[in-house]
Amino acid sequence: MPYVLDPTDLYYIDFPGRVSRIQKQMAEEKIDIYLGSRLRTLSWVSDAFCPWRSYVVIPAEGLPTVFSFVIDAARIADESWLDEDHVLGYAPMGGMDQITIISDFIKDLLKGKKGRIGYESGMSNYLAEGNLTHYEYESFRDALSGSELINAHHIVDRLSLIKDQGTINRFRKASRIVDEGHKAVKEAISGGGWKGMTETEIAGIAALAMRKAGSVWEWSFTGGNEIASGYRSGLAGCACTPATTRKLKRGDPLMVDIHAMYKLALGDHAHNYIIGHETKRQRWHADNFISIVSLVLKTYKAGVSPLSIAEEAMAFAEDKGFAEYMLPGFEHGIGMMGDEWRIGMNEGPLPYWTNPDHAYQENEVLICAMQYSCPDEKIGLRYENPILILKDKCEAMSKFGLRVEVIE
Amino acid sequence: MENKVTYLSSQWRDEVEKRLNTEITPEKMKHLTSSVAYVYLDCPGGKDKFLYFKMDNGKFTKVLVGDSEPPEADFRVTGPYDLFANLTQGKISSQRALMSGKLKLKGSMVKALKLASLADRINKVLGSIPTQY
Repeated sequence: MPYVLDPTDLYYIDFPGRVSRIQKQMAEEKIDIYLGSRLRTLSWVSDAFCPWRSYVVIPAEGLPTVFSFVIDAARIADESWLDEDHVLGYAPMGGMDQITIISDFIKDLLKGKKGRIGYESGMSNYLAEGNLTHYEYESFRDALSGSELINAHHIVDRLSLIKDQGTINRFRKASRIVDEGHKAVKEAISGGGWKGMTETEIAGIAALAMRKAGSVWEWSFTGGNEIASGYRSGLAGCACTPATTRKLKRGDPLMVDIHAMYKLALGDHAHNYIIGHETKRQRWHADNFISIVSLVLKTYKAGVSPLSIAEEAMAFAEDKGFAEYMLPGFEHGIGMMGDEWRIGMNEGPLPYWTNPDHAYQENEVLICAMQYSCPDEKIGLRYENPILILKDKCEAMSKFGLRVEVIE
Repeated sequence: MENKVTYLSSQWRDEVEKRLNTEITPEKMKHLTSSVAYVYLDCPGGKDKFLYFKMDNGKFTKVLVGDSEPPEADFRVTGPYDLFANLTQGKISSQRALMSGKLKLKGSMVKALKLASLADRINKVLGSIPTQY
């Protein structure tokens, strides 16, 4: 059974309204059908996690229809606001393969006429983006012979940029859940608990605590919960650290970057420790890190841009003598599941990368993400936290305290 | 020797309706309410034909054959006459026919999954009718 939309719910999102806004934009651009294939589009429209290759067909009027692998279609219908007549399965059978079933469906919608069909193409450094593949494009083009296929992902990109209240509340909840994961990790490693513990165990401790608190997945494709200890924390530019079976050692830096998912909103917060004993040099690095994170968090507000933040933060780091340890990027984009990495629209000087001059607007949500790495000294520190852009400031959603703690 | 009826003829249709309603109980049909149209391409004589079932609460309330466009149905299965004939005679399984792409299904695949075993029961009854193909 699909869930019933309840406008009084704290996490309510007006999905029919979202669809109407897409259709309005389609009409303005004379697009008859929108064929979405990106995970972000599927999440944003269906409110269900679609892990198998999925598509959504949005007609000029009326409800969208999701197509997913038949083994998962009933589950998607069960979790979505769309009913089972609008979540269909494809299968390796005559007439049921994804190209045939979707192109037949589109032909029925077009009632024998040729139309303009918007699809989603581009490139991404994010594995799960879900752009239409070259093969899919050619197959749909041939099956829908006579119709015009137009790249139209900008419609969903633009409409999903500013977050509504229900989405913001979901993100806040996901961050509260991440805080529970951090509390559990801190408790587990404290009082000598770290001895003999592996990075993978820490990832699991966080996962259990977050699942108990309501998370359904440690959503990151970078290995779920990212844990790095010792030299691994300080690998050059190292902002991707799937947990390994390395055991913690006294004197290790420990980076705990954990992820929770709540109603397709994503929690993502990194916290740092030093295990057993810190050296003066480690404290110097830690203080540098805390100072630049504090500065950056104070700088985010409507009107600033990724470039203005980077310039200000790197000037600060240069002045304090630690610029060489900073990765000169301070954020990545975020949205409902599948929307990760690029900030804003595809309108920057490098196609499909963040526009450095993107001016943040109120109610954008992004991940403030900072990486400090000193490979020579085998230390690295990471900060990540979803932030909500407000008129004169930002709201850091995870509330786990900003510090680098020494764990005895 | 048993009298044979011609496949997809009106006599065959009468026999299909009679046998389906006597040999498959509504319980066996899971009290299903649905409809399916089989479209036979390239039948002997050159025409396309159809076989249509309508089920209400597990009872076969309509069984039609014809050589025009079949009534709207929840599921539409299209394929060559020879393939359907082999299917009815049990010479080929419905799984192979569908998975090889020789039969084309239209309708909700999720719902079709639930009905696969029921379709096999219907086919068994069809196969039991002495038929001239």
